[in-house]
Amino acid sequence: MNSVNFVETEDLTKVYSSGRIEVIALKDVNLSVQEGKFLGVTGPSGSGKSTLVNLLGGLDRPSSGSINVQGRFISELNKEELALYRRSQVGMIFQSFNIISSYTALENVAFPLLFAGVAKKDRNRRAGQILTKVGLYPRRDHRPGELSGGEQQRVAIARALINQPKILLADEPTGNLDSRTSREIVQTLSDLNKNQGLTVIMISHEEALLAEFADDVIRLSDGKVVEQEKIR
Amino acid sequence: MRISDYIEQSFSNLWKKKLRTFLTIFGVVIGIGALVSMISFGKGVQKNVTDTFMELELFNYVFVYPRSEDSQTDESSQEPNTPEKASRQVRLLDDDFLREVTKIKGVEWAVPEVRFPAMIRFRQNEEFSLIQVLPADICESGLIRLRAGRFYTSDDENALIISDSLLRRLKITEPQTVIGQEIELSTMAVDFSLSNLSNIISFFRGRGLPFSKQNYTFTIAGVAERKGGIGGMPLRSDVFIDRSASEQMKKLSLTSIWDFFQSPQQAEGYSVVNIKLSSIKYIESVKAQIDDWCLKAFALIDQGEEFKKGFLFMDMILFAVGMIAVVVASMGIINTMMMSILERYKEIGIMKAVGASDRDVKKIFLFESGVIGFLGGIFGLFLGWMVSMVINQVVNYFLARQGVPYMDYFSFPWWLCLGAVVFSILVSLTAGIYPTLRAARVDPVVALRHD
Repeated sequence: MNSVNFVETEDLTKVYSSGRIEVIALKDVNLSVQEGKFLGVTGPSGSGKSTLVNLLGGLDRPSSGSINVQGRFISELNKEELALYRRSQVGMIFQSFNIISSYTALENVAFPLLFAGVAKKDRNRRAGQILTKVGLYPRRDHRPGELSGGEQQRVAIARALINQPKILLADEPTGNLDSRTSREIVQTLSDLNKNQGLTVIMISHEEALLAEFADDVIRLSDGKVVEQEKIR
Repeated sequence: MRISDYIEQSFSNLWKKKLRTFLTIFGVVIGIGALVSMISFGKGVQKNVTDTFMELELFNYVFVYPRSEDSQTDESSQEPNTPEKASRQVRLLDDDFLREVTKIKGVEWAVPEVRFPAMIRFRQNEEFSLIQVLPADICESGLIRLRAGRFYTSDDENALIISDSLLRRLKITEPQTVIGQEIELSTMAVDFSLSNLSNIISFFRGRGLPFSKQNYTFTIAGVAERKGGIGGMPLRSDVFIDRSASEQMKKLSLTSIWDFFQSPQQAEGYSVVNIKLSSIKYIESVKAQIDDWCLKAFALIDQGEEFKKGFLFMDMILFAVGMIAVVVASMGIINTMMMSILERYKEIGIMKAVGASDRDVKKIFLFESGVIGFLGGIFGLFLGWMVSMVINQVVNYFLARQGVPYMDYFSFPWWLCLGAVVFSILVSLTAGIYPTLRAARVDPVVALRHD
């Protein structure tokens, strides 16, 4: 693995305004993640972890500062370019899974390909392949309500991988899962990181899991990076 | 996204909320159905009028009336210095006029419109009707279309043509069965003879009229097809007889009650003469000649612009009434789409998180609106057609009992069918604009946190 900075932020700041009240969610965050690394992000509630992931995932725009992913300043992209970035370069998974309840597992996984203009037959074929990788192919026709929390999160992981992204952003993916399932999920992410060279940035409160699987861990507090730890 | 995916997604999303989708589409169906029925009714009436005009060549007719004394005065006051005009004599609409007018280039024939009232008696049934005097040669010129029998000739004594409409009123449904049968006509005539003494006495006491009833027996030569109820046509009666037959009859010769109030001078001539031209192009020259004779000419073609304005006005009124239902339906679409967006708020966030652009989101919801409009348009057109057919049958059923021939009161030209569906889609897309913009503006960060 090379040591090129794959994701880099410079003085990244995000301020939320509500009338006269301004809330600083992130303040001058400088971060660099090398390609193929597994970065753990931890910190108390309201410390800006989710804001950081949303900014890196192109769901939100910074108030100031910059984000550079693979040499491209995504903080300067317009809406259409950001949508393309989300579609092609990052995959995101969330604490509440965020899969569509009325769709089957296969349809959920194939969903991002819809916006990439892939034909239905190819969408289903590729979704089936990814579901096989995460061990859920036999449950492809089940809806989220018929799947366990761990299975739903694996559907979400499969969906995040369908467009073959370079970065996987995980916002507390184990938050709604028991400890055994949590470990399985993080193990899956770690395998993707190790075996496919996927750069993983994962938010978690569970420091033991981060210590076990992450290469680096940063701790946020009040929107600032207060600690950076290199584990391996 | 591919077009096929947008369409499939739209149907799939709408199918998930079957009842709501059904109710929304039903609203559009009612709206489009109402609009289609209204417009098709307007077009049906226009088509009937225009077709009848074209079929009967009504634009080739000029109707000549005597100029009233008032209008002569008015005209002379407007053009007092025209000695030529001042020297003109008011012509009578008499047989001399008929002879001269038929010599004008383009005039096929000219007949006075002579009608008189009579009671028609046939197989124990009686009906009151106006008898029109129509020379045999004109009768055969295509003016009358026969359903049974033949035209009378000038040699036929007491032969007549009766309309199928009057026959129906006389409870006869098979026109063929009456050919060659006898029919009785009773006319009223002014009679100062001794045989009518009782009525004459009543008349002088101011209690009645000096009329006597005259009965004539005719033979039915033919049955004419009665065309729709349009006024101002050369044929305005249900019974036609030749001039020779008319001359033998005692009757009150009048076209309408207004004939009672004619000036004595006018009363000497005919009140209306119908002139048939071989082509529309002769109308102006014939009218000019008639004007030279100080007579009043009226051609239906002069009313062309008025007809167009009238039809346009009718279309607008019918369209406006139909649009009320469409506007209500579009409110339903807005409501449905807003509800759909609120319910799928998180889904929109997910769409954006996995790479949907604002444009994709807009298109997804616009297609859903469009599908509502498309289905509403198709079924609305069908409903409008069904309702129109039912109304048409019911109206014809009741009118047939009054002797009015069958008519299609609704017309469905291809452009109305296509236009209804396209219009429905456009209205639905318009109704979907605001909800669509709302959907596109959804902040994915907020939506993904939404429960």
